[in-house]
Parts: sequence; C-alpha cells; structure tokens
Amino acid sequence: MKSIKNFVKNTFKDVPKEIREEVVSSVSETLVEKVEDLIESGLNEQEAIDKAVIEFGSVEDYFEQVDKRARREKRIKTIKHYRNDLIFSSTGALIIIGILIFSNLYYTPSIIWFVIPMLAVLWWPLAVLYNLLNKRENRREKDDE
Amino acid sequence: MINSDIIRGHLESVILKLIIEQDRYGYEIANCIRERTDHKFSIKEATLYSIVSRLEKRDLIESYIGEKTHGKKRRYYKITSLGNAYYYEKKQEWLLLKSILGTLLEE
Repeated sequence: MKSIKNFVKNTFKDVPKEIREEVVSSVSETLVEKVEDLIESGLNEQEAIDKAVIEFGSVEDYFEQVDKRARREKRIKTIKHYRNDLIFSSTGALIIIGILIFSNLYYTPSIIWFVIPMLAVLWWPLAVLYNLLNKRENRREKDDE
Repeated sequence: MINSDIIRGHLESVILKLIIEQDRYGYEIANCIRERTDHKFSIKEATLYSIVSRLEKRDLIESYIGEKTHGKKRRYYKITSLGNAYYYEKKQEWLLLKSILGTLLEE
C-alpha cells in the first residue's frame, strides 16, 4: 500500500501546498479501498495496484472541473481591477487637466496652450479603457467556447 | 467509448443518484457506473474523487467510516437533504433537456 501513497504523492506533487495534503490523503484512502476490493475479487496485490494506478487518470482529470470555475473567478477579478484602474486614471487626468486650465487662464490668458498637454494626458485613461474593453472581449469569446 | 465531454456536466447528478439509492463508497460508485452502462462508459477515478470531494464540501453529501464485510474500513457517502433537493432540481433540468433534444433530433 506504500506504493499507492507514493504514486498519489508523485501525481499531485505540483499542486499548491495548501490543498496538497488534503487531496493526497483523501485520494490515497479511496485508492487503497479500491486495491483492497480488487484483491478480494481475486487479483494479487501487484496486479491490483497496477490496475488502480492505470485506471486513475491524471491530475488534469482531477482538476479539470475545479479549474474552469477558478479561472473564471480570476478573470472577473482582473476585470474589476481594470475598472478601478479606469476610475483612478480618469480622476487623475481630470485633476491634471484642471490644473493646466487654471494655470493657463491665470498666468497667460491671452494664449490658449492647455489643449496640447491635455491631449497628452488624455492618453492615460484612454489606454486603460482600451485594455478594459479588450479584456471584456476576451471574456466573451472564452465564454462562447 | 463515448466522448466523456458530453457526460461530464451530468456526472454530479449521476453520482448523487447512486448515493441516494444507498450509501456507497468511492470505488463502488465507479464500479456501479461501469456495470450499469455495460462498460460503455467508465469514469476515471481522478474525476470521480474530485467531484465527490466537491459535493462533500458543498454539503450535498456527507461521509462516514463504515465497515464492509471482513471488517475492512470504507469511507461511505450519504446524501443530505440539501443533496436530495439539488438532485431533484438537476433531474428536472435533465428531463427538460432530454425533451428538447428529443424534439429537435428525433425524426
């Protein structure tokens, strides 16, 4: 039965630490049950262990379903982050443009020059908006799949 | 062997149904699925265990250590009332899907 434990440990060695122990112990418990049943049905120990190991599948089979959900959650989180980024960049741009307009009108009211740096500053929220829209489009495509 | 992608979404209901019939342990579930489908479909243990542990985390089933014949220990799974309700809902969903596909695909 030690080889079953080793097999399970080896199979799940790349799983994040926090859940590894739990997964390994529950999976090896059930696999040992299976091996015992197989022995009972007439196989010898080595054959039973081999059969259990062959039929087990892979880590991908184990995580496939969990993964999809987790990935979706992560994606939504990043979209939220982009939204925050957009709010931050728009507020920042507005403040800078406000200062530009003020200093323009206060110190050199005869020349309107604030439009030029304003255009430069506007690229900041625009770039963030571009990223957000891209991210959304990606999500829609993936959901369609 | 049938493409398992199609069945995958319904494996939860299948496992719940088997546990509702009677308390079962992990390998017994896999065996049941294989035998009832006449070896046309068999679930990979890895998939089975991940679904079972997820069902347990969501309180749809609970586990206890029981004894099989010859005094060997087995972790048995038992349905909860939440699990029963969830299964009923899933079953309605399946019946609807079946009737829709039946109308659309059958001649």
